[in-house]
Amino acid sequence: MRLQDAVGTHLAHDITEIRPGEFKGPAFRQGHTVCEEDLCRLQRLGKNHLYTIDLEEDEIHENQAAVILARALAGDGIVWRDEPKEGKIGLFAGRNGLLKVDISALSAFNMVEEVMCATLHNHTLVRQGELVAATRAIPLVMKRAPIERAAAIARQNGCVLSVRSLGRARAGLLITGSEVYHGLIQDQFAPILTEKIHALGSQVAALDFAPDDAEFIAKVIQSQLARGCDLILLTGGMSVDPDDVTRHGIRLAGATELHYGSAVLPGAMFLVAYLGDVPILGVPACGLYHRVTALDLVLPRILAGEHVGRQDLAFLGHGGLCRDCPECTYPQCSFGKGI
Amino acid sequence: MRSFEELLVSSASAHGHLCPGQVVGVRMAMLGCRLIDLDDPSRRDQIKKLIVYVEMDRCTADAVAHVTGVKLGRRSLKFMDYGIMAATFVNLETGEAYRVLSTEESRDLATLYAPDVGKKRQQQMEAYKRMPDSVLFRVQEVDLPINELDLPGPTRRKAACSQCGQVVRDGREMVLEGRILCKPCGEGAYFHHAREITWPDMNWAPGSKTRHAGDGGQEKACVLRNHLLLPREFGGPWQPVPEKHSQ
Repeated sequence: MRLQDAVGTHLAHDITEIRPGEFKGPAFRQGHTVCEEDLCRLQRLGKNHLYTIDLEEDEIHENQAAVILARALAGDGIVWRDEPKEGKIGLFAGRNGLLKVDISALSAFNMVEEVMCATLHNHTLVRQGELVAATRAIPLVMKRAPIERAAAIARQNGCVLSVRSLGRARAGLLITGSEVYHGLIQDQFAPILTEKIHALGSQVAALDFAPDDAEFIAKVIQSQLARGCDLILLTGGMSVDPDDVTRHGIRLAGATELHYGSAVLPGAMFLVAYLGDVPILGVPACGLYHRVTALDLVLPRILAGEHVGRQDLAFLGHGGLCRDCPECTYPQCSFGKGI
Repeated sequence: MRSFEELLVSSASAHGHLCPGQVVGVRMAMLGCRLIDLDDPSRRDQIKKLIVYVEMDRCTADAVAHVTGVKLGRRSLKFMDYGIMAATFVNLETGEAYRVLSTEESRDLATLYAPDVGKKRQQQMEAYKRMPDSVLFRVQEVDLPINELDLPGPTRRKAACSQCGQVVRDGREMVLEGRILCKPCGEGAYFHHAREITWPDMNWAPGSKTRHAGDGGQEKACVLRNHLLLPREFGGPWQPVPEKHSQ
């Protein structure tokens, strides 16, 4: 209808105003009753006609659709409000922790023409209140059926998005290497690893040293377990020299599962093993010289209770190359943003 | 109903190979049966309640027929030549009918559901096993009144073609300008230029001691031109008295 005839009618949708560099947002909200004074502003926004909508029995409005979609996408640890802005609903972290995104469900959801949801990467560390995803329907008005189908697809594994809190581990640090053990060189690793562990909310419950001796290493691992450590990080002896016996030590200690090597640079010699339920991480020397390595990609996931196996280490490859920027901006970069 | 894995092995064996179409077909059938509340359609008490319409003559169709036990000759399998990857499952008792369509986007999602599988075909098959029904299919509830002449059971109608005398069953005859005709006479058939032949080696019967001739090809050609038997429109000199075929 023409603008002049629109006084008294309700707006069918938010009307956006853009002042470049200044403001982009709703000048008028959906449902607003148009009055005489609005006409001037609407004209300035370039609106000479306004549209009303008559919904059919089986149709819904974009705002209703957004609510249906948000409800289906959001899982544990995700919060959102029933306040669509320009048809969009934001999904936020309800707690600190690790963002989990079900990528195949998300993609199947996005294949439904009438909907979309954009998210941060799977495995991103997020703080409470952070925006992690947003969803909306694409058309202004649509049939209910595809929206309900998209919602059903989002629920295929329960939900698409969730935030898992990081558990508080009692970590054991085991610094291996004969030169360090005998005091010939000073260890740099313990303070670095301690800081990383504290930053993730866990504590260091034990700190031990061992020479390049597989049996000695195995005994210390056992001892740390006996002292109540539920996560063990080993450094040193991860490379290819004949006296790099750390992983033999881990095996001797009784590891039931061992994956040596990750598709990450730096950190290709990273190791993940399991002794029963206890994760054992082998940290290669690059952890001394690089701010971020494979360890930083895997440790939050381990603390969030994930079982990291061979496939997970392999799938880090896409996005697993650190660009070694002069000024490191991790995690605001492509490193670790694979699957 | 047997498990998905068992059904897939058996279906692939019956069809002749294992392929993505088999995976989709087995799942389509399982979903269809669940929708119409028949959990074991090949069981005696359920088999007569089910009719399935398949809309394509592809691997998937074989899998659907195999899993549900429907058969062309039992009139429980109907083939609608649409070239669409869909099948409709009808519960004759309740009248419910659901059309299950395979989605095109499921193909595009293969790399996401099976990123760990390298080869394209294997990846597709594995992905089709992992994605839920909601991604693999769309479902429509449909109205599907079934003509009595299409239902399983003995033949309810026979008619004879007024042109060639052929008996046509089940109401498949045509009426053209008041005349009853079989489809070949009425609108043309899928074949052309039918020539009746007599073949000496047609004396075999089960249990007979006559061997099949190795090469009847030459002989078949000789008797083709037995014009005494052929009506004018097939190249012969005579207008015949139509033979009554009985079975």
